[in-house]
Amino acid sequence: MTRVDQFESAFRAADKPVFEFLQPVVERVLVVTDLRGASATAFRDQARDFLAVLGNGVQWDLDDGDSFDTIKVLLERVNERKPDLICTYRNLHSEAWRWPYSLGEYLDVLTQIVACPVLVLPHPLVTRTNGHTLQGTDIVMAVTTHLAGDDSLVNNAAGFTNDDGTLWLAHVEDERGFGRFIDAISKIDAIDTDTARERILAQMLKEPGDYIRSCREVIVTHRPTVHVQKIVTVGSRLTEFRRLIDQYSVDLLVMHTKDEDQSAMHGLAYPLAVELRETPLLLL
Amino acid sequence: MVSDAFALTSATEQIHDVTLVPLGVTLLFMALLVVMILCLALEEKLHAKKSVIVGLFAVVTLFLGAAFDLLPFGSITVGGHEIDLPVYVPAINWNVIAIILGSSLFVDVTSRSGLFTWIAIKLTRASAGDPLKLLVYYGVMTVVFSAVLNNVTAMIIVGSLTGVSLKRLERDNLLLGFLIVEGLLTNVGGLLTLISSVPNIIVGTTAGISFARFFVVAGPFVLVATVVTLWLGARIFNIRRLATPEEREKSARLVLGFDERDGIESNAFFWFGAAMLIAFIAVIATASVLPLIRDLGMGYVAITFGVIMLLRFKAVADKFYEAIDWDLLGFFAALFVVINVMEHALVLEIIGKGLAHIIGLGDTLGTGLIVVLGAAASSVTDNIPLAAMLAKILAANPVIGSDPNSPFWWAVVFGANLGGNLTPIGSASTLVAVTIIHKYKLNLSFVGFVTRALPFAGVQILLAVAYVVFFV
Repeated sequence: MTRVDQFESAFRAADKPVFEFLQPVVERVLVVTDLRGASATAFRDQARDFLAVLGNGVQWDLDDGDSFDTIKVLLERVNERKPDLICTYRNLHSEAWRWPYSLGEYLDVLTQIVACPVLVLPHPLVTRTNGHTLQGTDIVMAVTTHLAGDDSLVNNAAGFTNDDGTLWLAHVEDERGFGRFIDAISKIDAIDTDTARERILAQMLKEPGDYIRSCREVIVTHRPTVHVQKIVTVGSRLTEFRRLIDQYSVDLLVMHTKDEDQSAMHGLAYPLAVELRETPLLLL
Repeated sequence: MVSDAFALTSATEQIHDVTLVPLGVTLLFMALLVVMILCLALEEKLHAKKSVIVGLFAVVTLFLGAAFDLLPFGSITVGGHEIDLPVYVPAINWNVIAIILGSSLFVDVTSRSGLFTWIAIKLTRASAGDPLKLLVYYGVMTVVFSAVLNNVTAMIIVGSLTGVSLKRLERDNLLLGFLIVEGLLTNVGGLLTLISSVPNIIVGTTAGISFARFFVVAGPFVLVATVVTLWLGARIFNIRRLATPEEREKSARLVLGFDERDGIESNAFFWFGAAMLIAFIAVIATASVLPLIRDLGMGYVAITFGVIMLLRFKAVADKFYEAIDWDLLGFFAALFVVINVMEHALVLEIIGKGLAHIIGLGDTLGTGLIVVLGAAASSVTDNIPLAAMLAKILAANPVIGSDPNSPFWWAVVFGANLGGNLTPIGSASTLVAVTIIHKYKLNLSFVGFVTRALPFAGVQILLAVAYVVFFV
């Protein structure tokens, strides 16, 4: 029955996820800060300027440092306001922002409990070194470990990309994990190792490539001025994403943080969210 | 027309007188033939490949044939030259072997062009995911692929696509019905041309029926049987059109994900494959009238096209040789040897006498009975030995053997092909359908298949009887 497998494989390979465009609706944004008074308002204005792509019809709410002092209270306020997007930063009500090794308890919980996306801006008290001006979302990058079929990620990333901006869709296949499989295959006499390496890798990279092509074809009909670019490569994911973000001077990084299999943040998202402290992140 | 192998054997017989065969010896060989057919029917239970089963009987019958002094040893004369050949070499119908070898090579290499998957996916997209349209499109595709390629390849292509596409459309509940209907249609499509199935090749070449004549006679029946089978399939398996606009919109979106160009690695080779397929059909269809080709035969045509396609993969041609179904070829070669020995042991003569009674019933009752008996016999065992044996017996009949238009040839063709639809072991393509069904963890026993297939096979056989009796 090897020929059944042969044709099944051909048909499965031909069955590709087709991107479906859905403009994310953002009518109400909640800005959460531990600043107070004018500083809080300034932060809200900075967030509003940064998200000019959302247009003028958005209601901007502000919860400043006086309006919550526990996670429970903050969650209650979020529930009351029912925002479509939350804008905040790491290490709220904490000095831990001085030591770049965590997100802080508020952000940890928000990203996992709240249904709407969370935009994480650099901490307002941190001096930025990478030249980011937070002037807009001209260059947006969506990163994931499995891009093919992830319409929600692409739609959010496209929705937050300015007109005439560039949307990078990035898929990095984990070199180490792939290497382990090939190492196992190299010890199985029934499978030709060189063929397996070549064919598996080609197929793994082809799927996100095909999907990005589909995204490009669809997005151009809805957002003709947005340039969709492809990055499909192999490497150490964290290192590679860091390099790409630097290389393309990304204004906004978009990624998933929720994982159905666990209550902790999605595997790749956590280290990126902790380490990329100067790049705005849209956490879905 | 008598096939080349038979002609060679006759040449041998001119040189060596065959002694009279005692009845006991003939009955011994007949018993061996019956045991071989039983072993083929129980192939799955024996866990033995066809080639090994028949190969064993070939060596045993050859040995016994030599022991009883039945075999015409010695040299044969070809074109005035005397050639020494082992007695079992001219026993094989090499034209049939060449057609099967060349066609499978040709189909295998052509499939690498992405042509067949392109056609299959195009039709899937054209259906917009509507189950009834999909059944019709896949059904027609099964018939055409069975006719142009072969039954097994057609079932593999359409069956594997059915599994993938119905899963994609979230219509797994229809998979069993689709696969059964497709399996049954392979044997209908297998009737369409002279090269569509092995019984056709054997009977057609033995009778001297041309490709064009075969198509003209079988075509109308295949059309009617396909329509009836699809209609019955839709009713029995409750395969209906999508009812709501939402369902239609969703299904259309889901099939859009199929990219028909995915399997095409080279546009040039894709078009070359398409052109060669058309040329292959055209040359095969006209082989009996083309100068030189007429003498070289259809086997030569098949091998030639296989070799031309292999030029594209000349550096890795050995991969395609590995993919050839050597079991099938070994089975045919051994089968021809067994039947040849049976002929010398006068077993075929005894069966022929029995068959003569049926033939004596006339063109109406006789042909009808052969369709039904042929179908019944080929439902429980391989239809190839049946076709080979009956073809040889009919060829020996002074009236039928010299008349390619005799309805008895068609009775054998229709019976041998359609009988495969009665049971899952009746034909290789229904066996493939059942294997795919089991691969998808669908529960279908032997009896379950027979129960579901019986209405279809019954109607098809009745149609065939009426067609052979009244229209051929």
